[in-house]
Amino acid sequence: MTTLRQGPITPNGAAGFGLILIGATIAAAAPGLAAVAVIVAAFAAFEVRGASGRAIRRSLVLVVPLAIFMLIVWVGIVGRSPAEIAAGGVGSRGAAFLHVALIASRLFVVVCTIQLIAARFAHRTPLDFIGVLRVPVAAKRLFVLTLSLVETLRHAIDRAHTALIACGLLTHGASIRNLANSWVLVQTVWLTAITIVTGRLRDKWPVEHTLGLLDHALAQGEQRSLSRGDLVWLPAAFAAAVLAVVVR
Amino acid sequence: MTRRRELIVGPNFSGRSRALRALLRETSFLPASFFVGPYAEAALSGISSTIADEVQIYRTTDAQSLRPTYAPIDFDALADRKPQTLSGGEQVLLALHCFSRSAFTAIAVDTALEQLDGANRTSALACLERGDDFQFSVALIDNRIEPPFANWACRERKPEHPTYICDFSAFADALVPHKARAITIRDLHFGYRPGRAIFAGTDLMLEPGTAHRLLGPNGAGKTTLLKILVGVLRPLAGRMLLDGETYEPWRTGNRAIALATQNPDHQWCGATLHSDIARRRSVLAARATAPSDERLSLLARCLGFPSLDLHLYELPLAARKRLSWLWPFSGALPWIMLDEPTIGQDSETRRQLAAIVGRLCTLGYGVIFVTHDDDFAARVPHRVLAIEEGKITSRQQIAAGLQ
Repeated sequence: MTTLRQGPITPNGAAGFGLILIGATIAAAAPGLAAVAVIVAAFAAFEVRGASGRAIRRSLVLVVPLAIFMLIVWVGIVGRSPAEIAAGGVGSRGAAFLHVALIASRLFVVVCTIQLIAARFAHRTPLDFIGVLRVPVAAKRLFVLTLSLVETLRHAIDRAHTALIACGLLTHGASIRNLANSWVLVQTVWLTAITIVTGRLRDKWPVEHTLGLLDHALAQGEQRSLSRGDLVWLPAAFAAAVLAVVVR
Repeated sequence: MTRRRELIVGPNFSGRSRALRALLRETSFLPASFFVGPYAEAALSGISSTIADEVQIYRTTDAQSLRPTYAPIDFDALADRKPQTLSGGEQVLLALHCFSRSAFTAIAVDTALEQLDGANRTSALACLERGDDFQFSVALIDNRIEPPFANWACRERKPEHPTYICDFSAFADALVPHKARAITIRDLHFGYRPGRAIFAGTDLMLEPGTAHRLLGPNGAGKTTLLKILVGVLRPLAGRMLLDGETYEPWRTGNRAIALATQNPDHQWCGATLHSDIARRRSVLAARATAPSDERLSLLARCLGFPSLDLHLYELPLAARKRLSWLWPFSGALPWIMLDEPTIGQDSETRRQLAAIVGRLCTLGYGVIFVTHDDDFAARVPHRVLAIEEGKITSRQQIAAGLQ
């Protein structure tokens, strides 16, 4: 039986909180989304506090370019919302704008929730955080490998930039040359990522049985029970989720 | 169980890495060995986002397996950093640190120690030497150790079949003259993080027709300076001049310096040599110095590669490293930067490479090289540029063979 501890939100509580809110966000219409956003804002104010600003800035950096792209496509080019297209109506740019605003808002809430949880547990390393989650080791391994794939892609982007800037195909700052050679960058990033992964799988992991070591490291994580902090945030998230589904 | 120290020696392409893998299937190296490959992909696990996690994956809690921690760098202070942000040498040191805290009873090192500076290399070898005391076996490939190596068993490999045979004298004859312009750097400031300057008000003068050796301990900023010079990194402040004219490669693109990176795979712009060259040449457009396919084919043949239609990633690492010199030595650009050019190369190739670098200087090129290989550096007349505490100090010209 799970015992209740004093103290702030735990990684398990935060993971549950995040999953409930993300699910609710995906299902929510505009009024329900507002309820979810209120809970996320409260989490930022009471749990994350000073680090919230950075998490929100990062979320904006990720979401705003996508929102601009969607605006160009839906409002600028298509000029109708998907619902209007499905209904075969004339449609309007205003409806297309509302559609983009809802999608971008959902995306922002999802990204912001993840960023806030990451900021709340910034004192823990990713392996440490995943290690204490109450999920099967296979799921933990999947999380770690997914994160490692993200890191590998970032590393590949860095390496490809180095190669292409050094040979003059790209420049460090924004330029027409970068635009012209963007496809070369995409190709180089993928080629680099694939060769990094295959190098690892061929040379390092079979000799060391690295995944076995990872499983061992993950199994050592202290299986912490829920805290009183979790019992505040989990019901709050659940209530927001109910509102998000019910209020349309 | 008997603990072994095995040094695998031989020229390039003699199957040393294959022999190392075969060795790891022998009793002393079973059930598993810690592996430190030549570059980060095969030195670090690749599954950790921070240095703390990398250590955590390997760390043992078994009291019987504990041995002295090898920590030439304070990795605890760097716990939050991403392993990939360490320099090449620092990554090797991190791998050895992880091994020292693990329960592995065997370690295999494939040319990785060649990336270490003198002090770190000595301490790393001393760490491996203590296998007898702390009950672990070692298998090592290192081009800078000439057998016999005291207390180590040597497995000598012979060339298996004639592959990648170089004709360095024909290569030297095929080099074309160039007229490099002097590079001046004034008041350079750079750092990756606020408050942690790598360069703070650095001035530097690089003369054409001269080889410059960048010297400094692992992590001092040698590769960082090369990246600034080719425009990969933008300085926080400072000016760069080409014969007195402002030059900002980070803004206008690199059009003066050909770079051969430490890990050759960091410089390819295509999957095949032909596509790599075609893309590089497209930058030079109609410039007279753009080398033709015929000329590049000739140089490639001199380096032991029969054609330009090679799939780069299907070649052995030593061959890729050698191919990384092709573009810089083709005469495309007047300045040549070589980052640890001798890693993975046997003694004969290193000797020949030193002669080529010397010849390039007499032909008017400017050369900057980073190496911890003192034997190689001693064969090249050069000026030492020592990176110390954010400044670069230039030392006297070193005559070949006198260092």
